[in-house]
Amino acid sequence: MARITHGIACSHIPALGVASDFDKWEDPYWKPIQEGFAPTQKWEAENLPDVVILVYNDHASAFDMKIIPTFAIGCGESYKPADEGWGPREVPVVEGHPDLAWHIAQSLILDEFDMTIINEMDVDHGLTVPLSMMFGKPAKWPVKVIPLAVNVVTYPPPSGNRCWALGEAIARAVESFDEDLNVQVWGTGGMSHQLQGPRAGLINREWDNMFLDKLSGDTQELRCIPHIEYLRETGSEGIEMVMWLIMRGALGKETRELRRFYHVPASNTAVGHIVLEPVNGEVPPSTTVEGNNAEAQNLID
Amino acid sequence: MTDKNPCENAGGPIDIHAYLGEFDDIPGTRVYTAKRARQGYHLNQFAMSLMKAENRERWKADERAYLDEWPMTEDQKLAVLARDYNRLLDLGGNIYFLAKVFSTDGLSFLQAVSTMTGMSVEDYQAMMIAGGRSPEGVRSIKEHR
Repeated sequence: MARITHGIACSHIPALGVASDFDKWEDPYWKPIQEGFAPTQKWEAENLPDVVILVYNDHASAFDMKIIPTFAIGCGESYKPADEGWGPREVPVVEGHPDLAWHIAQSLILDEFDMTIINEMDVDHGLTVPLSMMFGKPAKWPVKVIPLAVNVVTYPPPSGNRCWALGEAIARAVESFDEDLNVQVWGTGGMSHQLQGPRAGLINREWDNMFLDKLSGDTQELRCIPHIEYLRETGSEGIEMVMWLIMRGALGKETRELRRFYHVPASNTAVGHIVLEPVNGEVPPSTTVEGNNAEAQNLID
Repeated sequence: MTDKNPCENAGGPIDIHAYLGEFDDIPGTRVYTAKRARQGYHLNQFAMSLMKAENRERWKADERAYLDEWPMTEDQKLAVLARDYNRLLDLGGNIYFLAKVFSTDGLSFLQAVSTMTGMSVEDYQAMMIAGGRSPEGVRSIKEHR
């Protein structure tokens, strides 16, 4: 049986990719970030999962304005790094896990999450920067990756509540997969940042740390934050943090924080990072897949 | 498990008009709504085309001629030529698409973003290193907070 072992959240700022690709970590500007992630890299090497479900958003790379899926899951064999206008990053090709990905896609659709299924796409910094932050510069990524892309660019993005519920449905899907696999769920993007208009450069250290605090324990407060609060408090691009809630939802009822790092700035953005472990990984039963279950019926009534 | 919806008391049902209306109350910010997505469709798709190396070459050789291949408004074309990013946001541009234009110019996000703030790149970068722009006073126009 597959199991979710940990959740990780990590900013996916393109400049971090540049720092990694061009070996800038010793530079005084980047050194604190390198030091902040070094213990996690060590921890991650010791707790290496078989598969990472990597929640991210595409930044006008694989998807343009022609097609805007709210939730899309990658079921392909592999994904090349995208050319985002500077030429593709020189990082390894990302290997997928089609068996588990298709299982999750089917489970989610039966669970009434109407996923878009992607078999071929290139992946941009949203997906490859977190891999660099966790694994450095290996010749080959040490895990299989299931990309889960969320629209957080064109309004409205999904609500935080919906993201959390999707995470719970992912947990149910992983648990019903027969193969013995360790799975991590990563939420990426954030934290506070605004990349546009005269208000660009906004950072909200206090709000970001409130958000980090409430990812642990059994509180569900974060799922109820409306979009307007992200926009006002964390800048127009801070909305990416709804993706962290998919990770949090997938960890179940109660979590414990193992590591945290927060730093301002990298380029225009507050760097946030957390490692969470499920304490009680229980998630509510599906109201459809487990429709005859008494608890599920209570939810419907 | 007794909670039906943990957010049902978090502000009541969502009214789409109120939801969209609040976006205009944020100072110095253009939220990328459906209205802007429609207005900027061809502008953003033009920008997107610069992800291909061969298109970048043609664009660099003659920007105006390249723009004229797209059904964009004259205002949009002039704002692209002027690299006036605030104007482009007003005309339906989205920053992740516009990023294809400034990365083709060899600018980083930090350099391009600073041009929208009325600050020099140096001053903008210094503000970021000092902790960024405070949300104090720029959360809401109506509520002055």
